[in-house]
Amino acid sequence: MIRSKILQFDSGDGTPAGWLLLLLLLLYSLPLDTIAKEAVSRGLPSAAVLNPAAELWRDVRQRDQPTTGSTQVRGVDSGVLINAYGDRWRKFRMQQLIPIGGYMLMGIVVVLAVFYLVRGKVPIEGGESDRKLPRYSTYERMIHWFIASIFLFLAITGLILLFGRPVLIPMLGKETFSILASACKEGHNLMGPLFLLALILVFIKFVRRNIYQKGDLSWLLRGGGIIGPKHVPSNFFNMGEKTMFWMLVLVGSLIVVSGLVLVFPLFGQGREWMELAHVGHAIGALLMIGVIIGHIYIGTIGMEGAIEGMKTGYCDLNWAKEHHDLWASRAEARGEALSNEAVGQLRDLDPLPSSLGARTQEAGK
Amino acid sequence: MIGQFIDGPLWTFSLAVFLIGVIWRIVAILMAGNRPDLATPKGSAGAGALRALFSRFLPERTVATHGRLQLIAGYLFHLGLLALLFFAQPHIDFIADRITGLSWPAMPHWAFIVAAELAFAGLILLWLYRILNPVTRLLSDLDDHIGTILVFLVMLTGCLALAQAFEPLRLIHLLLAELLLIYFPFSKLMHAFTFIMSRGYTGATMGRKGVNA
Amino acid sequence: MSEQFDQGVQALRQQIDARISAYFSSCVHCGLCAEACLFYTETDNPRYTPIHKLEPMKKLWRREHTFWGKLGAVLGVSEPLTEEDFSEWETLVYDSCTLCGRCSMVCPVGNDITYMIRKQREGFSAAGYAPEGMKEATRRALEIGSPMGVTYATLKAALAHVEKDTGLSVPVDTQGADYMALFSSMEVVNFPEYIAAITRIFHAAGVSWTISSEAFEATNSGIQIGNKDAAAEIVNRVAIAADKLGVKSVISPECGHAYMAIRWEGPNLIGRAYPFEVVHILELLDQLKAEGRLRLESKESTPMTLHDPCQIVRRGGVIRQPRDLLNSVAEHFVEMKDHGVMNWCCGGGGGVSANERAEPLRLQAFNRKKKQLDESGVNTMVTACANCRIILEEGIEHNEMDTAVISLTELIADHLIEGRNEN
Repeated sequence: MIRSKILQFDSGDGTPAGWLLLLLLLLYSLPLDTIAKEAVSRGLPSAAVLNPAAELWRDVRQRDQPTTGSTQVRGVDSGVLINAYGDRWRKFRMQQLIPIGGYMLMGIVVVLAVFYLVRGKVPIEGGESDRKLPRYSTYERMIHWFIASIFLFLAITGLILLFGRPVLIPMLGKETFSILASACKEGHNLMGPLFLLALILVFIKFVRRNIYQKGDLSWLLRGGGIIGPKHVPSNFFNMGEKTMFWMLVLVGSLIVVSGLVLVFPLFGQGREWMELAHVGHAIGALLMIGVIIGHIYIGTIGMEGAIEGMKTGYCDLNWAKEHHDLWASRAEARGEALSNEAVGQLRDLDPLPSSLGARTQEAGK
Repeated sequence: MIGQFIDGPLWTFSLAVFLIGVIWRIVAILMAGNRPDLATPKGSAGAGALRALFSRFLPERTVATHGRLQLIAGYLFHLGLLALLFFAQPHIDFIADRITGLSWPAMPHWAFIVAAELAFAGLILLWLYRILNPVTRLLSDLDDHIGTILVFLVMLTGCLALAQAFEPLRLIHLLLAELLLIYFPFSKLMHAFTFIMSRGYTGATMGRKGVNA
Repeated sequence: MSEQFDQGVQALRQQIDARISAYFSSCVHCGLCAEACLFYTETDNPRYTPIHKLEPMKKLWRREHTFWGKLGAVLGVSEPLTEEDFSEWETLVYDSCTLCGRCSMVCPVGNDITYMIRKQREGFSAAGYAPEGMKEATRRALEIGSPMGVTYATLKAALAHVEKDTGLSVPVDTQGADYMALFSSMEVVNFPEYIAAITRIFHAAGVSWTISSEAFEATNSGIQIGNKDAAAEIVNRVAIAADKLGVKSVISPECGHAYMAIRWEGPNLIGRAYPFEVVHILELLDQLKAEGRLRLESKESTPMTLHDPCQIVRRGGVIRQPRDLLNSVAEHFVEMKDHGVMNWCCGGGGGVSANERAEPLRLQAFNRKKKQLDESGVNTMVTACANCRIILEEGIEHNEMDTAVISLTELIADHLIEGRNEN
């Protein structure tokens, strides 16, 4: 029961966040100046508070002529003196993206904290068994931690760039933050393409096990086990994990493509494209950060035994049966289960291979 | 203050430690001496040494199959780092300014970015392999991790300072590079020099036996 | 701490030369050598990684040859080499290494790991941490003259049979002969056909040869256990006998480790260059064939493959000769996937065959050879080492395989055109 809720949570934690972010996107597409105008028309003494900048922007936007002039300077957008949409983008970033995104991330952390306080760590119900199943190869673990480390680096540097002004400048001061921001920008841009590489490697290696199967449908129909009977079988990856994988692939691709548009202005993309790319990049990234926070929660403090497979390559047989029974029982039937002792030898946790050690003793050493 | 120290005396000190340390290590190895081989040779020791020095840049087939991950990551890291170290414009300027007075053409910015990406990918993958694979996990000691992390930090801070607009960022990069130089002679990083001796010794022995190693 | 343990540490200390210092300095712990070692590939146990088997020697080197080690020793924080290290590593050093040298071929920084293990055994045997079987073999080699306890009387009996079978006389202690032939005890006891083969070949090719009644044993247990004094004593017997008979050359038998001992390690063990030449029997056969003195007829039609004995091929440099010889008597010579200098060991070299407790592990390691054979699809394996032959036959029997193992020299003798060559 508890398990199923966790898994449900794993698959679903993107949903509320997703709605929020969809809302953000909608907000961006709304003509915000209309809202502003409405505020003006609500009987405020317009003439008295007329701000020259606002007037300028309105003039720029309301011009009948095309906004592009002609110039000898060859380059993208070089004929545009003032980008009519720049201010809208700036307002969106400052007034919607940063506050809503920030509260969303904080909200996720708070929800997880409350969840943890209520549920605690989900134990392996049958306790640890004396056998293990090989779950991930060295290569699989390598590319997982590869994408994980790149993701964390990009997330941290990206969040610093996004939330630096409201959060860090008050703490560090402008001088220090400017240095930090420059470092983060360079680092973020440089490491970014590696995320594409990591994403491709992860996609190729894990895609087959993440294709939705029959078992997933029943998992979904039974609400991940919340309403149905206690035990809900799942495959190598459950519905929640598969959904996370496909979000990583799809949203991750959005982040990668928009990131490349931003960092390599070599394809004739103008400012409007860059603004759009930035909005997509930020919203996609915030969404994925939210999902990954949930992923990290389950892997670390949320569930006993969940990280073992990714850490050691082997998972406890009881854990596997409780969470991935369709895979575990098949793997066990194939005779893949190894004794803890055998796994210890393969991972070199024993001082000596036991058989060899015994022979040494026999030899009377 | 501290900037001047990093830029001045500490740089001189670390360079001196590096140079003297490396020479001392190599001399110490040579001083341990080898007994002359009295068996009648079938082939040339010199040719064997030279052959092994270059042939070991290419992996043996079975190892190339099973260890391809490490090999690819290893090539990426080493080639990328070599390019960054000697062909990045700021490094060439620095070397010309501070050490030799000689300069050579730098690689273009895009090549720098590509080299950095590959070197980072290689180094991260190699280190992950080190801690995840049972064999390398068993073999690795503190020195391996310190060396890897130091190199990683030097590369990372170098890239963070790419804007070349903030002195503190340059100084952090320089400071870490200096720590790396000081650590170098006392560590496994020495393999950058001693691999020539190892390959040479083995190649010579095998060359005498008429085996291409 | 016993006195013998101190002697072991001292012996180990003396082994650390420039090569070993360079090797330890260069090793970046990449673990690629594991993939070259049949004990690792067949068990997946990381303990069998070749460079890991050198941990005791590395510990000593680190403590006495590196900055951190010396600093740690002064501050009393680094642990010295202990008796436990010896006892814990004994099986890794002796049971799971055949000195086959494959790891030395793949190391990216070029470390000769096999050389280091050979050297490390000096310390282990001096400290008394060596397998009983190898200790016994070494004792017999020193006292009786052969690791298997073969005396000249045994050889004489074998020679009598050979003379009866071939109708030729076998020259013993002939002064001034060109060649002095050596044997491995295994050939005398298990494969006297080898003696018959060379008797017939040498007769047909008109080779002036002899056997010394004082030194006929070519194998060297001292090298395998890592006791350079015993090894030198064993080599010296051959050198003295060759000197006494005034021969120009000494012929190493097929046996791989014997060739390593007498050809490559010998002069270094006794500290002087030989006044005579050492040739491997295959080198000599190849030379005789090239000179037209060895004439062969008809070819085997069964497909045949060649098992390269490590010490003759990879560590010895006799690579081309066995192939040319086999091609001259076999129509279908099929190379195994990894052959020549990258061949896989039979699993019984380096004294492992004399080490009873290593047998289960050795049979597990044989799976590597089995896979190689299965891949080649050939059922007849030719080799040129008596020890390989025994080990291969044991493995074949254990796995109930249908594979024949034959000696290359004996195969050549089967195709010999008899009759004294006019030369």
